Amino acid sequence: MRRRSNNLLVEPPSVATGDIAFNLIVFFLVCASVQPDSGRKQTLPRSEEKAKQEQQTKNVEVLLTRTTAAVNGDLVPQRELLPRLRTLLSGKLRPEDRVVVVKSRPDTPYAFWIEVTGLIEEAGGTVTIQREEERTVQVGG
Amino acid sequence: MKIPPRKHKAEVPSVAMGDIAFNLLIFFVILAKAQDDSHLNWTPAATAKVESAGATRVSVLINSENKLHLNGQPIGLSQLAPRVKELLGDAPAGDRTVVLKVHRESQALQFEPVIEAISEAGGDLVHILEEKRP
Repeated sequence: MRRRSNNLLVEPPSVATGDIAFNLIVFFLVCASVQPDSGRKQTLPRSEEKAKQEQQTKNVEVLLTRTTAAVNGDLVPQRELLPRLRTLLSGKLRPEDRVVVVKSRPDTPYAFWIEVTGLIEEAGGTVTIQREEERTVQVGG
Repeated sequence: MKIPPRKHKAEVPSVAMGDIAFNLLIFFVILAKAQDDSHLNWTPAATAKVESAGATRVSVLINSENKLHLNGQPIGLSQLAPRVKELLGDAPAGDRTVVLKVHRESQALQFEPVIEAISEAGGDLVHILEEKRP
């Protein structure tokens, strides 16, 4: 007599389902972390203020206040900033000539500073910062 | 006749041990994130184009209260450059990324010296920003 094969239905154990679900929740929570991790690279020339002071006078200068930007002393609306910078930098081929000196008033907000420095880089300029307190102050006597 | 009470051997089930170990592992990995600054409150500024910052060991943050933090820990401006230099060590160019997270309303008085300190420490600066939506 031929014996019938013992084909039993094998079910996966369901005890671990809860653990698997919990691990999946943890995994997706970690993945969905809202911390931003992308942005913009910025190369700043090393500060050698004293030695380069003379050179900087030939460079384009951008002065930022809380809401305005002035290029070489002229107040420029934000939408005209990019074409103006492109024009000023167009004839300059050497990297040191393409340095744009950014001076900011102490109350200039970061969001505005980022916007303007982004435009400078888009125009082909290299941003360098000149801080207010670094300006030469002559004391009489 | 007195029937002796049955003694059942109670054992801790060992099936879940692997899962428990795995969960503990995840828990400590999350805790041990070297530069975790997720507890700090700040809003990124927006820009048109953003790119991935890549791997980094150093994260500098100015929060909404204008307090400076290095890898999630409060730090003074005067200690920033030497500490960043120390953390970067002898890392080659391209592996010296320092991410800078500045609250969008922070003022030049606070963020400019920080940018200068990072530059002085020889870090490759990456501003962490949000992509501007049209």
